[in-house]
Amino acid sequence: MKISLDVVLKDIPGQLVKALEPISSYGGNIISIVHLREEVTGGRVPVHVTFEVEPPRLEKILRELEDRDIWVSKVGEVRKKEKLKVLLIGHIVDTDARDTIDRINDIKGAMVADLALAMPHPEKESSARMDIEVSGDDVAEKVIERLEEIAREKNLIVIKSLSKNSSGI
Amino acid sequence: MRVQLIGFGNIGQGLARVLLEKEKYLEKRHGLKLRVVSISDISGTVVDEEGVDLKRALEVVEREKKIIGYPGEEMSGLEAIKTVDAEVVIEVTPSNIKTGEPGLSHMLAAMKRGKHVVTSNKGPLALEFKKLKETAEKKGVAFRFEASVGGAMPLVNLATEMLSGDEIYAIEGILNGTTNYILSRMTKEESPLELVLREAQELGIAETDPSYDIDGVDTASKLVILANAIMGVDASYRDVKIQGIRKITPEAIKLAKEDGYVIKLVGEVKNSHLEVAPRLVPVNHPLNVDGVLNVALLRADIAGDITIVGKGAGARETNSAILSDVISIWKNGACL
Repeated sequence: MKISLDVVLKDIPGQLVKALEPISSYGGNIISIVHLREEVTGGRVPVHVTFEVEPPRLEKILRELEDRDIWVSKVGEVRKKEKLKVLLIGHIVDTDARDTIDRINDIKGAMVADLALAMPHPEKESSARMDIEVSGDDVAEKVIERLEEIAREKNLIVIKSLSKNSSGI
Repeated sequence: MRVQLIGFGNIGQGLARVLLEKEKYLEKRHGLKLRVVSISDISGTVVDEEGVDLKRALEVVEREKKIIGYPGEEMSGLEAIKTVDAEVVIEVTPSNIKTGEPGLSHMLAAMKRGKHVVTSNKGPLALEFKKLKETAEKKGVAFRFEASVGGAMPLVNLATEMLSGDEIYAIEGILNGTTNYILSRMTKEESPLELVLREAQELGIAETDPSYDIDGVDTASKLVILANAIMGVDASYRDVKIQGIRKITPEAIKLAKEDGYVIKLVGEVKNSHLEVAPRLVPVNHPLNVDGVLNVALLRADIAGDITIVGKGAGARETNSAILSDVISIWKNGACL
């Protein structure tokens, strides 16, 4: 997993090595280190570290940092946001578009980011293009399942994108 | 090599024409002398141990719409398979996705009599692939069906012969030219489906009853054949999740287009899951081919992705595949 870690170091030599050692000793792969020198306050420098590590080792790294008296101000998993694109056809507005969006947003890690709607005539079926931000393949799968469930219920058609990684090249 | 032709419609007549055209080439290039010893259609069968005169057969059918006027006899295709001596049966009767008949009985009868089978008929394969394959293996005969999927595109043989060291773990494709034509026109002109469909029917691209194409039945049949033949998935037509293109609106196509996508009817096999549905395809993706063209994307574990594009239908193009299957049987020395 990819971890984003914010530490606040004393502005004296040797502090950075002290903070990074536990990461590398537990097999973490450091991707980037950013010194936020412009944010130095009270002789302390905030440093932002991004690294990859096996999930069970993260806890050990954090304990080790604590033992070394390194101040961790923030830690979290970096989940890459991906865009899922779908088209919907049917009586999208009449079947409560708000409800459709809410039910997707209810999925943790999913959010409807954009909706473009085309209505040729109030009585005719409308079409919509929906961009949904998802935080991983598992979430994307859940969104598609939820959309298909909504489509069955509201008699809509869902047009999915081609499978991920279908580059064809 | 003696062959029997079962079915003398569009494809069967197309084969007769190709055989007349290629007679010298086949002999010179492959040392193959083909003798069509019987031709059957719904009216009856013409049998000639010395070889049916294909030119005359074509003239008779053009004039009378049936082969019996050759003159032939009131013998069904099945009887011809059972009684006439030949090495290969070419089964090109109309496809039936509900029962697979009469093609299924023809193929099984031929195999049981030790005859190799070459076919373009999807129905029997989409319903009973495993049974046909096992019967052929048991009887030690060849069972070749390149023409059943993607017309002239050498898809099955490419994957099973040229890529035999690779595992194909997914297939995606546009396997129906009619729907691709309709969607391409809708994309270009932003016209409604009914209008484009009517024009396609007038041009002879779509059938009077278009449901076989636009409801995804044809694509699903072909997908089943590919899944069985290339990926070893034991699936039947009934296992495919199908959604056709009937409900696609010009507005949906426009919304896709504005964002750099087109809508295509795509068949996909992955993890033993078979699905036919309209999909959003990026405009720069290899699956974005226009008009009546077909395309298939094979995802191979060693070779990577391989895309093949070609004419998916047409009497002449489909016979390229039938001919290559017949030649392959000849080259394998099974009927010297």
